[in-house]
Amino acid sequence: MTSLSRPAGSFREIARGRLADPDLQATFDGVTGRLKKHRLATWDGLEDPERLRSRAYEIRMRTIDDLERHLAAFTEQVESRGGHVHVCASAADARKTVVAIARSAEARLVAKSKSMASEEIGLNTALEAAGMQVVETDLGEYIVQLAGGHPEHIIVPAIRQTASEVARLFEQVEGAPVSPELQELGQVARRQLAHVFRTADVGVTGANFAVSETGSICLVTNEGNAGLLTALPRVHVALLGLERLVPTLDELAVLLQLLARSATGQPLTSYTRLVNGPAGPGETDGPEEFHVVVIDNGRARLRGTRYREMLACIRCGACINVCPVYRKSGGAAYGPVYSGPMGAILVPLLTGLEHAPDLPHASSLCGACTDVCPVKIPLHGLLLELRKDLVEERITPARERLAFRLWSFAWSRPSLYRLSTTLARLGQRLAPRVGPGRAWAAERALPPLARRRFRDRR
Amino acid sequence: MSREELLERFVRNAEKAQFRVHRGEPPAIEGAGVSVALHGLADTGSVVLAASPNEPRARHLLGDVHVSLLAESRILPDLATLFASLERPLPSSLSIVTGPSRSADIEQRLIVGLHGPAEVHIVLLPA
Repeated sequence: MTSLSRPAGSFREIARGRLADPDLQATFDGVTGRLKKHRLATWDGLEDPERLRSRAYEIRMRTIDDLERHLAAFTEQVESRGGHVHVCASAADARKTVVAIARSAEARLVAKSKSMASEEIGLNTALEAAGMQVVETDLGEYIVQLAGGHPEHIIVPAIRQTASEVARLFEQVEGAPVSPELQELGQVARRQLAHVFRTADVGVTGANFAVSETGSICLVTNEGNAGLLTALPRVHVALLGLERLVPTLDELAVLLQLLARSATGQPLTSYTRLVNGPAGPGETDGPEEFHVVVIDNGRARLRGTRYREMLACIRCGACINVCPVYRKSGGAAYGPVYSGPMGAILVPLLTGLEHAPDLPHASSLCGACTDVCPVKIPLHGLLLELRKDLVEERITPARERLAFRLWSFAWSRPSLYRLSTTLARLGQRLAPRVGPGRAWAAERALPPLARRRFRDRR
Repeated sequence: MSREELLERFVRNAEKAQFRVHRGEPPAIEGAGVSVALHGLADTGSVVLAASPNEPRARHLLGDVHVSLLAESRILPDLATLFASLERPLPSSLSIVTGPSRSADIEQRLIVGLHGPAEVHIVLLPA
């Protein structure tokens, strides 16, 4: 099941495979580099980006501290317009709820727009198990679905597929040759998916934000697929992460100014849509039924912890693009859903640290993520906190914990410290060849020590 | 900001977002979808389309070419002023459109006109 509860094995193993693939390295470097450049180009257009970031942080934290009230207000507004709100404690509850909605609509075809929450709860497998066909309509997600994989980047899901690979995947659907020429691929995808938009019984979208004052959900896309899914199928289901509530439209405007700029470097994406309910009286499109499925799945619990700031995340991907570790490892090393610094924090928090003990270490703690985060989450600080928890909860192997206790003991005593530097100087030729030094030196050079210590230079 | 400045800013940003902006005389385009915009946003060059019995939610996404008619007097500075000016209850759906349908999902190269129109026009109607 494509669920967060099944992370994809060891970070090191997967990352090592990626490091050995020069094409993949060039792809990750190229894509993240371009997104970084685009972000910088529009960021400068903001009058006072620092003030905007602080305001966004304040809005997010204030809302998270009072989620119950905002959720109640949101629910009241949605229901007053004839929509339905379902609050789901777990991924399993959320899957069950969406399957039940689709069943009661007698759905055969479910069309989806990009939703990381859907990946998180493993929705596609559940709908398929209930006998329904599920088709992703975001181009990147569609490619990933045809390839039978998982998104490698929350903004660019098909980051690793080349145009020729995409052409081969489209050929399987088309039953005829497809040229790898870019515009041609766009036209083929448009044709293949146009049929899906027209015939889908249920449209499933995510929700970038939800506004409690008006009962709106806000959807941001460049392709226009989410807009079609909120208009054409009989039933619209929006999956909303519990923490994505915003009190007012005015505050939504602040976050929208930051989201697209941080994600793709656009002031706004091509399509920003507010949905405030099912089709109104006399309207010729729009769904008969509008459902918002609110997903907790461990989020509410985080509020009482020192990781509560992670709930401010708006899933823009800026931290991923600047991360020197992601640029080498790619997304799959972090598991099937979230990656980069935000994933390295979120996956352990949502699944349990013991299931993803590698991830807090998948960082050089350089702090580039914290610098670019539009909502000022202290990302590398949280990674460090998770490392502390690894030790305190005894998830770190006993041998490693013992080694650091000994090291701490030795370096707290001047005589042992001096002895250790003497030994290090003498042993520096030997160190890369034995024990832990060998493992460390396999992927990098040990820094050489001076022949004479500073303290010995009189 | 004066009316003229606002208008000029809107046109500049709409063109940056890859809209073709026409003043007064609507272009003759066979088979284009046409919508009437509730507002324009100068800061981003966006048109705002509100769902109603006359304006289906999907209209601006169907077809290869779309034309939005916008009264010059309906241009607002930005998102925040739009949200402040909206009457309650809100329309069942509101779409803020900033350019053509596009995707950079394949090799980060731009495809224009994926699920929605590749060609988008704004016809400005003088006050």
